[in-house]
Parts: sequence; structure tokens; C-alpha cells
Amino acid sequence: MASNVVEIDNVTKRYRRDDFEIEVLSGVSLAVPEGAFIALMGPSGSGKSTLLNLLAGIDRPTSGAVRIAGQDITRLSEGDMAPWRHRHIGFIFQFYNLIPVLTAFENVELPLTLTRLSKAQRKVKVETALKVVGLANRMDHYPRQLSGGQEQRVAIARAVVTDPTLLLADEPTGDLDAKSAEDVLDLLVQLNKEFGKTIVMVTHDPRAAERAHTLLQLEKGRLVSSAAPAAHAAAGISGITGVAG
Amino acid sequence: MRKLALRNLLRNKLRTLLTVISLVLALVLLCFLTAFLDLLENTSAAADNRIVVRSAISLATPLPEAYWRRLETLPHVTGITPLNWYQGTFKDDRPENFFPRFSADPATVFEVFSELEIPAEQLAAWQQDRAGFVAGKALADKYGWKLGDQIFIKGDIYPVDVNLTLRGVFTVPAVPSSERQVFFHRRYLEEAMSNPGIVGTYFLAIDSPDNVAAVTKAAEAMFVNSDAQVRAETEKAFQLSFLEMMGNVRLLFTAIGLAVIVSILFIVANTMAMAARERTTEVAVLKTLGFSQGQVLSLVLLEALVVGLAGALIACGASALLIGVFSAGLEKVMPLFGTLAMTPRAWAIGLGLGLLVGLFSGLAPAVSAARLNIVDALRRVA
Repeated sequence: MASNVVEIDNVTKRYRRDDFEIEVLSGVSLAVPEGAFIALMGPSGSGKSTLLNLLAGIDRPTSGAVRIAGQDITRLSEGDMAPWRHRHIGFIFQFYNLIPVLTAFENVELPLTLTRLSKAQRKVKVETALKVVGLANRMDHYPRQLSGGQEQRVAIARAVVTDPTLLLADEPTGDLDAKSAEDVLDLLVQLNKEFGKTIVMVTHDPRAAERAHTLLQLEKGRLVSSAAPAAHAAAGISGITGVAG
Repeated sequence: MRKLALRNLLRNKLRTLLTVISLVLALVLLCFLTAFLDLLENTSAAADNRIVVRSAISLATPLPEAYWRRLETLPHVTGITPLNWYQGTFKDDRPENFFPRFSADPATVFEVFSELEIPAEQLAAWQQDRAGFVAGKALADKYGWKLGDQIFIKGDIYPVDVNLTLRGVFTVPAVPSSERQVFFHRRYLEEAMSNPGIVGTYFLAIDSPDNVAAVTKAAEAMFVNSDAQVRAETEKAFQLSFLEMMGNVRLLFTAIGLAVIVSILFIVANTMAMAARERTTEVAVLKTLGFSQGQVLSLVLLEALVVGLAGALIACGASALLIGVFSAGLEKVMPLFGTLAMTPRAWAIGLGLGLLVGLFSGLAPAVSAARLNIVDALRRVA
């Protein structure tokens, strides 16, 4: 059995808004094995994005532990967290968030500029990543010269170019038309199947969730169900543990 | 990271251009003020061992000729020469035909102003001709004067006109701008005025710069109980007094400079803050990708520093060019300005302040970007 890439142990997250304290996640525990593709669903305010942020190390839990690849990231200092994110996390945003003044090539190269790789080594990696997402011929294009779907594919190339431990996607198809959304989902499936990437994807779209191995439902900050989407149920793909209740 | 900083600057070209222009204008003004202050403080034509004695009332009030012999008796005085500012009109009132004209004592003027060089035979010829005059080489070259040429100057301060013959041409290798003046025989003016026995200023040569203070004090004390009290000061202070007639020039220049630079600092800081605020999401993305606080701080600071450096380089270059043009133009009106130049201090202030404005204007937005909470920043747009 594959080892767990993600282990969340009794995580609670509370926010303070003026005089009110809001509990966004309540005692969530979860284990995600290496190579899993998980879809996180739930109504607005259920804590999906908060959970994703905790996994990305861009937010910290109020209590509980978040272990990624065996390391409890809640114990990392702010200074250690940035290089940790760089090594272990690939993040795909809903609105792509490419840097508009950089070309597709330069956007994908951006995380690699933080490494000791030479320019030639970076070039090879960037070209490979853009080839995987099918945009080898659009390297010199600026984001404004690309369609939404193409922009998201560049963003995916940027997320995978450092070969991260965990790929996190926050509603990656939320801003795309149906065709582009299909392309992006195909790409995520390909990354999961062919390259063994562990993916956690937040989505509102049931069709997107269908492409994952496992569907997790969050409600009012609690994991309420875990199931293999219909397409995978027959194949027996799930492997997720730790749903509360 | 350098690439991203530079591209960010070009993102809104007009805004960057206007910011750099506003910085350039402020720095050009500062470079000019600094060059002027340096000119005032380092007037190289002024000797360290010369003092000027003039009426305590005003420059327009003459002193008695009798003071000449008395001042001569002061200890440490090695030479004395009287000068009267004649002014007059040569050809017409146009500024390009203006140059300083003094009545002087041919026997002593070249001894006291030892930096002026004239061939001995020409000096002797001038000393022997009461209607003769000597001119600086630059001036003689400008008008094409040759020895024996005559000029006519119409009197204004003194109600007498003078017809003068060129007897000598002097040079001032150390201060070429001092070659734009003429001296004519003091006795010519005295006789034309029916010998009033008046002197505008006395220039005293002192044996050592160490004794200048003592002689200055002694000269003023010598006439303290007379009808015509005197004011004695170093030659440099005397030259500065012309400019300081406008007020405390140094204080004024410094105040203007400070006001300008502080204003521009706020303008650039506001622009940088605005530019950084517009990219809040991008900063959050960079931090998500693994950029550290220090790297984000450096990125924003680099942008501000590039603006500051670009502004400083353009401003210093433009100032050097403009000061050269102004110097050449103003020299005709006042030879002192012939030495106006973009001094090393003006370069240092221009470049230094440009970078400082860049640094300080970028500091607040850079710190703010570095400390940005990623989740809050992403939520603002999402």
C-alpha cells in the first residue's frame, strides 16, 4: 500500500472577524496516499479552500497537525515555510494568476529561478512542462495573448515544473468554458496517472469531481462523507481514510 | 527577479515616465542649487590672503583716498591697491556688452592681484599712459582688440565718459573667467571728476592667511571713531556678499532643496505604493510559489531603486549639460558664474539623493508586500 503524502490530524481552524470567532474547520482528520486524486466538494463557507490553504502551507491551523510527506508543517517558521512550499507544493488557482508581464515560458520558469539550476537546465524543464500541457508552441506568448484554458494550462505547467510532492488545485475549472474545463481536467488526470502526481482539487463542479478517485464532502467545517465517484467505484479506487462521524 | 522588476516598471509606462520626470526635475533643481552653493563657497578667484576694506555704510559709499596710506601701515599688510567700480556703458546696454570696468592704480594692482599675469613692457606702457587701459585676454579676444586700439565708455555712476587706449592684455591662467574685465588708470577718473579723492574698495594683500583675521579686525578698529567707518572682510566673503544681498542664499537654497526633495519623496513613495498595491495578488502568488519575504522585499525595492537611479542619472547628465550652458550665458553678465560647474558634490548629491528617494519610497510598499498575508491577499480578488 502506498504511503500517505498528506496526514491531517484533528485540525481546527478559527477566524476572528471583528468581535466574532468563526470556526471554519472542526476537528478534521484525513490521510491521503501517494498518487491519489481527491476532489473536495461542499457548499460555500464549508471550509474547502481553508483546508486547501492549510495543505499549501499558506495558512496555519488553530490546533491540530498537518503533515506533508512526513513533516509537520505547523511547526515550521515563516522563514522555513517559503522554501518548503517551493519544494513540496504546486498550486493551481481558479483565476490562473499568471504574471501578465512575463511570457508563458517566463511564468513557468519563475519557480525555477529560486533554485540553483543553470539557465540551460531551467530551459529544458520549462520546455518539458509546457510540452506536457500542450503549449510548446505558445512559449513566447504573454497571458493576454492566450485563451483562459491555455492560461490555466500554463499555470498547471508552472505548478508542476518543480516536480512538487503535492498538487493543489482551487477550482481549476471554475473560470473556464466546458471545453477548456475538459482539457484542464484531462491534463490533471494525465498528471495523476502518467506522472503519479498526488492531487487535491477543490471544486463546485460535479463533472470535475467525477474525474477524481475520491470525492470528499465538507459541510460546516467537517468532513461528512468520502466516496469514490461513480466512474471509479467499480474499479475500487478510493483509499482515503479519516472521515469524521 | 531583475527581469520581473524591470518588466513591472514598464507595465504602466506613462506612470513610470511621469515619476522619473518628476524626480529628474527635482534633482536637476538640487544639482543647480548645489553647484551654485559650491560656486559661492569655492570662488577660486578669491585669494586666501587678501582682504577687502570698504565703507561700513554700503558699497555705494566711497572711502577717502587718505585711508590708503593709513591702511598700508597695518602690520602684516604686504600690499594695498584701490579699486573703483566705474561701470559705464560700452557700445549699448545689451548684456553681452557688459563686463566689469574698474579704475585702478597701475603701480600696485598687479602686485596685489598677483594671479594676473601681464608682460612687463605692457604694464610699463599702461603705467605711463593715463588714458591707457588693460584688458583680460578673453575679453580682448572677444572684441578683437589689439594693442593701441581705442574704446569709448559712457559714464553712468560717474558722470564722466572715458576714451581709453589698450596698452596691455593680461591673463589669469588659474581663473580664466577673471579675464573678462578691464582696468584703467585711476588718475584719469580722479582728474575727470576734479580730484574728489575717493576710493570704492581697498584690496589688501596679507603676508599669511593666518594673519587675515587680525588684519581685518585691526582695519575696522583703525577707523572706528571716524566719519567714514569701514567694513573689512575676506575677499571670498566680499564676493559672497553680492549674492547674499538677496538674503541668506545658503539657507534659502538649502530650504528649497529640502522642501523639493521631501515633496518628491512623498510623490514617488505614493506612486510606488500604488504600483505595489495593484499587484497584491501577484505578490501573494509569488509567495505561494515559494518566494521568501526577503525576495519579495528585494523585488519591490529593486523597482523603486531603478526609478531612483534612472532619475538620478538623467538628472545629473541633464544638469551637467544645462549648467554648462547657463555658465557660458551668465558669465557675460557676471564673470563669477564662468566657473559655475557640475561639481563632484553636485554629482554626489544628485546620484545619492536619487537612490535615497528610490530606497525610501520603496521601503514602505516593500515591507508591506513582504509581510502580506497570502490568504487575505488571494481572498481580496477571488
